[in-house]
Amino acid sequence: MSYEKLFETNISSESAKAWKASGKKAVGYVCCHVPTEILIAADIMPVRLRATNCVDSSDAEAWMSSFSCSFARSILQYLMNGTYELDGLVQSDGCMMATRILDNWEHIAKKNEKGQFIHQIGAPRITNDTAIGYYTNELKDLADKLGEFSGTKVTDEGLKAAVAKTNEVRGLIAELFELRKAAKVSGTEALRIMLANCDMNIDEYTAALKEFIADAKGREPIQARARLMIIGSALDNPEYIKVIEDKGGLVVADALCFGARAFGEKIVVDDKDVLGSIANYYLTRNTCPRSLDNRPALHKEITDTCKEYSIQGIIYEKMQNCECWGGEAYYLEPDLKAIGVPMLQVEREEQMANAGQLAIRAEAFVEMIEK
Amino acid sequence: MAKAPVQNFDPTLPVNMIDLTCNQVDSIYQHMLTKDMPEIMWTVDIQKFVWEEVRDAHKNGKKLVAFGGPVPVTIIRAFDCVPFFLDTIPTRIASMEDLCGRFIDETEKYAPTSMCAIDKAQLGCALKGEFGVDIDAFVHATVPCDSARIAYPMMERLFGCPCFTFDCPFRHDAKGYAYLADQIEAFVPWMEELTGLKWDAARYAKFKEITEESNRSYDLLTKLGNLRKQTPCVLPGRMLVLNEIVAPIAGTPECTSMLASQLEMGNMLADMGMSGTRCPEERYRVCLMQNMLWSNTGIMDWMEKCYGAVTVMDGFGYQDGVIFDDIDNWERVKIQLAESMLLTPMIHGATGPTEYWLKVIDKMYEDYKVNVSIFMGHVGCKHTWASGKIVTDYIQQKFGIPTLYVDVDAIDPRYKSNDELRAQIGEYFESVVGAENFCK
Repeated sequence: MSYEKLFETNISSESAKAWKASGKKAVGYVCCHVPTEILIAADIMPVRLRATNCVDSSDAEAWMSSFSCSFARSILQYLMNGTYELDGLVQSDGCMMATRILDNWEHIAKKNEKGQFIHQIGAPRITNDTAIGYYTNELKDLADKLGEFSGTKVTDEGLKAAVAKTNEVRGLIAELFELRKAAKVSGTEALRIMLANCDMNIDEYTAALKEFIADAKGREPIQARARLMIIGSALDNPEYIKVIEDKGGLVVADALCFGARAFGEKIVVDDKDVLGSIANYYLTRNTCPRSLDNRPALHKEITDTCKEYSIQGIIYEKMQNCECWGGEAYYLEPDLKAIGVPMLQVEREEQMANAGQLAIRAEAFVEMIEK
Repeated sequence: MAKAPVQNFDPTLPVNMIDLTCNQVDSIYQHMLTKDMPEIMWTVDIQKFVWEEVRDAHKNGKKLVAFGGPVPVTIIRAFDCVPFFLDTIPTRIASMEDLCGRFIDETEKYAPTSMCAIDKAQLGCALKGEFGVDIDAFVHATVPCDSARIAYPMMERLFGCPCFTFDCPFRHDAKGYAYLADQIEAFVPWMEELTGLKWDAARYAKFKEITEESNRSYDLLTKLGNLRKQTPCVLPGRMLVLNEIVAPIAGTPECTSMLASQLEMGNMLADMGMSGTRCPEERYRVCLMQNMLWSNTGIMDWMEKCYGAVTVMDGFGYQDGVIFDDIDNWERVKIQLAESMLLTPMIHGATGPTEYWLKVIDKMYEDYKVNVSIFMGHVGCKHTWASGKIVTDYIQQKFGIPTLYVDVDAIDPRYKSNDELRAQIGEYFESVVGAENFCK
């Protein structure tokens, strides 16, 4: 089997169309607190929405205004212009911009009489037993509604089977990260591969990824001037990383929600409380600064990754109008200074309008930090 | 060109915010005493109370609990603490361009410029260490918005004091109230540890007293709201600014007294066929459907004077408080406290799905007979900009009113000049609304 599909950066609806053609449902989701296991257990194909290569979000801007995050606005654009033709949208309130994708789409879909399954999960922003209990109830509600929608009830067995599949992907991504550590896979390639998970049916994705990893193990390490880590706002455009890597930096690690944070450790299931296990996993992992009680832990994970991956410099990219990742430098910078890792902060938009500027800054940064 | 207001302090130098504010309020108070107008002293009395309570908390043997977002203030008061609503700092200094600008600029060294200036100003004050008081505890919620979620964790670390976070549910429904009620239950022992006081029968009796007082305040607020619904509206738009301080002081006799005075004045004006507004005659009833423009509250006076347009309500300041109906029943009280937290001004419309804001707007426009709709859009409030079209389309469809969109900064007066703002609003009034300009 060819794994070329893993490197198709543009949004592909091929898998979703094939899935729907078999009489099943494909539902989009935004943000990291929508457990895909629940959709899979309901025999629904989860499609993680992204904004890759959206060059014009003017229709969506009429709804979300220019004072909005271009990532969220571009996703709405893709929903409006038919790039995504799905049966519905499930969302967690990752940030308020993501929430407004759902609100606006729900409104537009109703106006255009498009029948859509629309559901928002309230995901807590602190982690304790009470919060996990609340979130578990939210997930139960989602599972019941999805089961009704698809005609396949979500059961513990179904969830465990789904967890087995997603855990297999997590394991493969962990292997991919070992290859990144060994400089055998570039950051650009890695993000392409991880983005492919958004559009592909999980079985197809798993098979392709296994093949790629088997081949990539035999590669020679990439020669680079500096080992970098990239952190920050939702980044779904591998070309952004390519600009940096073309200047001699190799992005061997990341803390991106379309990257490492989307996968993470494997879920450990307690047979007595399968849904609770999933809720606990999704709420306790540190995906982004949307939560209010995870900053020190998030920063520690970043500094630990720096040590584990021998990072020489961090690129902290911030989407304009992204509040979630807006203020981390204040405490992160001293933490990084303490371990001798400099940080370059750059602002960006979803549309790659400032590639030249990024290239100059990346090159200067690499020159500064290369050994 | 308009002259900048003269200030009696150097805004480029470090300040003690609380002392500065108390001194300013006291100056206004002394000045008003000389005018011999006892009937309006209540507008300053309440400001004196609010700020001097914060300044003198430690002197009076009380802990000072800073808070942000919706928190159960009545419980804080029951534990003999003084609640300090941090939002009152930016709204207080919004008209002081240099001081406000200095705090905002400080925050912008570390956080995005797109962040809400309410949070930028208070965070900047914290970064500079210029509150002028020591904070004993910081209690905040996970709402209203993403900007607060940058500011609050940073302030937690800056204050270096015990902190408690209320996670507000996305949906304001029975499950959400129960979730919040569970957190209120956990808050009580936290307050016990903070203060060394017990949540015993005596403490609960005090809490009851405070809650009964809060009921009186919200009953008065409802009556004030009803007064504003009448045509003509006898209370000026700038009175709406006072709504913001009800949250930290509900449960105090001072709050009840302020609202009672406002209502008495309003009823008297209505009975006498007079008006407290600057309208030559009331021709239009305006709703500012988003935030209050604290950086330029004079714009409401100007609309009254020039177009006979009285601001009857603002979207986020709209009060829909809860009257506690069974105070002896702690389980019921917790649920109602949770409801009231989620009905706090701004929280009721700015959190959760757009449909909540839509419901508030629908009720407001209907009840207050609004016929001029202005989206006075605070640029930092990006998520409401992102749902503005849903709401304004609804307003057009149901009420036949086209909404004027104006981008402003509710706190940073540098964003847009008064002249530009007046030009935009004036053009709308004259060309779209067809209003006569009394000032020409």
